[in-house]
Amino acid sequence: MNTTGVIELHGDGPVNQAPPETGRDRVNATLGMILFIGSWTMAFGTLFLSFLVLRDKIAVWPPAGIALPSAPIAGLATLVLAASSVFVERGSRSLSLDAGSGRKASFSALWITGMLLGLGFALLQAWLWYDLILAGRTQTSGLYESLFFGLTWVHAAHVVVGLFLLVWALVGSKLGRYGPERRSFVSNAALFWHFVGIVWLFLFLGFFVF
Amino acid sequence: MSSDHIHPEPTTFLRKHVFSIDHKVIAKQFLWFGLIWLGIGGIMAMMLRWQLANPGVPVPLIGGLLFPRTGGVIDPATYNTLFTMHGTIMIFLGLTPAMIGALGNWCIPLMIGARDMIFPTLNMLSFWAMFLGGAVGFYSLFVPLGATEVGWTGYPTLSTTVGAVGQGETLWAIAVFLIGASSIMGGINYITTVIRLRCPGMTWMRMPLTVWGLFLTSILNVLFIPVIGSAMIILVLDRVFGTSFYVPASIMSGGTGGDPILYQHLFWIFGHPEVYILILPAWGVVCDLLSFFARKPAFGYRTSVGAMVVVTVLSALVYGHHMFTTGLSAMLGESFMLLTMIISVPAEILFFNWLHTLWKGSLRLTTPMLFAMGVIFVFGLGGLTGIYCATIGTDIFLHDTYFIVGHFHLTMAASALFGTFGAIYFWFPKMFGRMMSERLGKLHFWLSFFPLVLVFCIMFISGYAGMPRRYYDHTSAEYLRPLQHLNVATTVSAFLLGVAQFIFVFNFIKSRWWGKTAPQNPWDVGTVDWTIATPVPHYNFKTIPVVRCGPHEFSNPVLGPDTDWIYQTEELPG
Repeated sequence: MNTTGVIELHGDGPVNQAPPETGRDRVNATLGMILFIGSWTMAFGTLFLSFLVLRDKIAVWPPAGIALPSAPIAGLATLVLAASSVFVERGSRSLSLDAGSGRKASFSALWITGMLLGLGFALLQAWLWYDLILAGRTQTSGLYESLFFGLTWVHAAHVVVGLFLLVWALVGSKLGRYGPERRSFVSNAALFWHFVGIVWLFLFLGFFVF
Repeated sequence: MSSDHIHPEPTTFLRKHVFSIDHKVIAKQFLWFGLIWLGIGGIMAMMLRWQLANPGVPVPLIGGLLFPRTGGVIDPATYNTLFTMHGTIMIFLGLTPAMIGALGNWCIPLMIGARDMIFPTLNMLSFWAMFLGGAVGFYSLFVPLGATEVGWTGYPTLSTTVGAVGQGETLWAIAVFLIGASSIMGGINYITTVIRLRCPGMTWMRMPLTVWGLFLTSILNVLFIPVIGSAMIILVLDRVFGTSFYVPASIMSGGTGGDPILYQHLFWIFGHPEVYILILPAWGVVCDLLSFFARKPAFGYRTSVGAMVVVTVLSALVYGHHMFTTGLSAMLGESFMLLTMIISVPAEILFFNWLHTLWKGSLRLTTPMLFAMGVIFVFGLGGLTGIYCATIGTDIFLHDTYFIVGHFHLTMAASALFGTFGAIYFWFPKMFGRMMSERLGKLHFWLSFFPLVLVFCIMFISGYAGMPRRYYDHTSAEYLRPLQHLNVATTVSAFLLGVAQFIFVFNFIKSRWWGKTAPQNPWDVGTVDWTIATPVPHYNFKTIPVVRCGPHEFSNPVLGPDTDWIYQTEELPG
């Protein structure tokens, strides 16, 4: 970006090939992502507001005498997802480090580890549901189950989208679409993944801690 | 994406006119889409008015075609569907695309000197998400067990499977969700574009107020549309998967259930900002148009910006005034009442600035100017009656009467619609390269203005007299029969208003293809969008402009005796 502010068109028509990202492009992409996450914070905030309002209607919390989702599994899922976020973030940052040999390899290794941990979280989440369903509790059983299944479903949908973004970033990096020169997609996917993790943290606190 | 934000000119028809990522094409797509839906929603309103004036009489002309089963008579279920879809269509599929989609896409890049939106592909997705939402909403009218009939607010338990068994309600919720997704995509794009792509010299305080209005609207869109998105997700969970968020007792097991009032909170947390989402762009347009055609600087530019920012913040804090009758605690109720009243302060500032912009101006009474002045009048009527709706003591009496219907139509519907019309008449020459007929435009204004004011002012009277909204046949109630003549008068005015819109349709279509070729700058206005050629080239600006003065430098004495305006790209002499 030149600072005189006058950007000339190249020749008669616009240029047709994608040049490397500039710092300005990265700020644009990150700003867009931050706005998106702000928006989605309101969406999940709405769900948490509903959770808090409705939880008040349940006399004993957590409800007594019925099968509840397993807190140890949920705790493990929380740790796995946190670890996944750490690896994804380190992978994303490895792209912006100064040039050096082995940088790309370290990106792939970190990123794949993060992805696998994310997949592990998804499996643990499925286990939580499966356990409850085996005990005969489904979303139609009552208000507690409505809240638990409803909120975790919406969250799980975002886990699936997040995993898809992580895979897309990995494939893109293998194909040379993304790399140190063009890394906005990778860092935005990481941002989204952290957001998914933070939402889960609140779900965990709401259902299993407080 | 390169930092120039240029993309190659598309060559195929599909990429050029259908799946285009050019903001100018998307603006036109939004405009056509919005105008068509405004027409559909308007026809629904006419049918509603027909039923209210002549209960049980077959609808003339189109009745036999639309309701063959009843011989053209609107039955109660159809009536419910009509008022539900009228509201939904006008807000989400009419005004939102025509005002925010079309105007935002057209004005933001051109008025801040950018080559396109910052995320062109997201922009395209925004239109097609809206299109899909419209398609789902339209399809929901024809599904088994009936379309939605619970009011545009979709309150449970009526909107859960307890009250609405048909798929129509589920599809309605999905349609609202999709349209919301479109608005969020647009909002993210608009905000980022305004923050990042203003051309050199285009400081925040040199931006046209239209862009300010659209920018603030986008902030509200990004923050509050997700709230209704979540509310709709929960509604679909309740309806399709049998959860009991909104149902007092679980339908399946009879166990503990949720709370229908929760939905009202979620709906209005979104619903009140939505009112300002629709009106803020109109306010921005009015601020600009008044200055352009009074040939004076917009009076109190900075205070106008400040007032709009304050309204944006306050709009998030007043939603409880929609719920005074739900048993809200007295303390909450009074807080919401106070906050609502406070909104009139920034609104008054805007009014004062508008009137002072007109004061001693050399007015050019063009069609866009007439519509801008019309907004002042109808918004004034709506705003003043809002005080009665905001006060708990009077609102409990007026709640769910035609007084409320009149109030919100004047504030958010009529004002936003007039603002949209003003904007269309104003930017049409740049958009389509042809002039709209001024004579027909003025006729359209005057023939719309008087019936419109009559329609909603008579509603104030009948509402104050106790006429409740959403009644299928009020003549079946003894105490409402004396109000019949008021309903007939409203309907006559409404039909006059409806007929007047055909003048606009005729003018729009005729001018689009056969109008006089527009000069580059027919209005002598200095904002950046009028510096470029008509039709606007694919890349908008050959060279990114450099802005050297504000958007409203009209009649500045330093310009000398020969001219009363200057382009924003020019240096003020002296």
